[in-house]
Amino acid sequence: METAETKSFYSDKLKRAMHLLLFRRGKMPGAREWELKEKVGKNYQQVLDQLNQLLSELDLEIKKVNEPRSEEMGSDAGHASLEEARYLVALKGTLGLKEAKMIGWRIDNLAGLSASISYLVSKQGKAPREEIEKLLAHKFGRWKAVTLADIFLRTGYLEEDDAGVMSLGWRTRSEIDLRALMTKMAEAKV
Amino acid sequence: MKMTEKPKSQRTTLAAGRKELQEIVETCEAISERKFNPFFMDVKFGVETLRQYFPHWETFKDHCLDAHTINRLSEVVRLQNTQLKFQSSALYADPDFVKRKVERMSEKRLAEVFLQSWHPITELEQLTNSTVSDALDYWNLLTPIADRWKKRESSRGKDPGTADSETLTGLGIHGKEFGKQLTELWNELRQLYGDRKVPIDYWSFVKGATYNETVQRAYYVSFLVTYGYAKLQPEGEQLTLTPTDQPSEKAVSGAVSFPIPIPRES
Repeated sequence: METAETKSFYSDKLKRAMHLLLFRRGKMPGAREWELKEKVGKNYQQVLDQLNQLLSELDLEIKKVNEPRSEEMGSDAGHASLEEARYLVALKGTLGLKEAKMIGWRIDNLAGLSASISYLVSKQGKAPREEIEKLLAHKFGRWKAVTLADIFLRTGYLEEDDAGVMSLGWRTRSEIDLRALMTKMAEAKV
Repeated sequence: MKMTEKPKSQRTTLAAGRKELQEIVETCEAISERKFNPFFMDVKFGVETLRQYFPHWETFKDHCLDAHTINRLSEVVRLQNTQLKFQSSALYADPDFVKRKVERMSEKRLAEVFLQSWHPITELEQLTNSTVSDALDYWNLLTPIADRWKKRESSRGKDPGTADSETLTGLGIHGKEFGKQLTELWNELRQLYGDRKVPIDYWSFVKGATYNETVQRAYYVSFLVTYGYAKLQPEGEQLTLTPTDQPSEKAVSGAVSFPIPIPRES
């Protein structure tokens, strides 16, 4: 009897957590930690673990992303306060070139994004916009470079401050494995 | 020499000190904006400069500059520390190396490298009870399209009408006032042309203190040209004006229309 009750309790919580994670309510996808705590309960972490197991079979996973805390990239990233964390559902594996094209990405846009992000990472996450545009212009021409920079800003992969300094955006932090990108970039044969 | 005046050497020291501190601040700010490597700044030298000039500061402004320089230098030290930590991390790659690699790699290869590290977010956009309810409220409050068009029609500008000669005189584009303005402008043009007999640049002549004045002068000049008081000649990309000695005072027969747009910035 007890087991049945626990099961249904969890199944209800699983659904609620799934809805929060998948359905976009505000400007950004996913759910903040306090939302999960409020709507799913204190044991939301256990619920997420169980949900993660279910999702892994579909090549999906729950990702915890911390809001940017400082300019110290690649060092002690897990120290952000819990209130700053956001949970998202992301693809566990990777996409092929054809699949990426199917979901609306052009190869040159992906190439431009790859170049911009790796250059920004090598500059500790920040660089003047002119430098990024110059790098892109070498490959895609001046006009295309400006358009690409604007696309990356609009889609949240890059951010720009008032001084015209570009940095990595929330989407880059959520979707891209920067270590893997830099390793692959170093290994890539020209 | 007054007692309050400082000796010349002290004034020079103060000026040189302010200049040096300003340069340090500018360099630090360029580093903060990622224009230079943080190690480009010799912090020790910066601190020594501060120490050298500190005894000379007297005004509040100088002390503020001193404090601001310390603040900027500490920011550079923080960035140097961050750079060292970054270099020791697995993410470190030399920017020039990345740049060269990007330049030499094909677009396809770059896209493939990206795809191997990309895990896109999965999400769904949907209708919820609250959004449907909001939409329904909005729909109920929305005025019928016919009423909205009515509003738009009433907000249209005034229809073209006729103006009598009194109104035109009042606006300064007709009557005695108009003739007076034309004569004044013609005299001005003749004066500029003077003995040098060099055609006057159209834009420098027409340009007024404000955009309105420029338009007004261009308007009067068009009459001077039409009635033969001046000749408008294109010379390459330049337009020139030459006053005529004996104006015909009649519209030139067979004249062609020559529209000249006046941009806002002129």
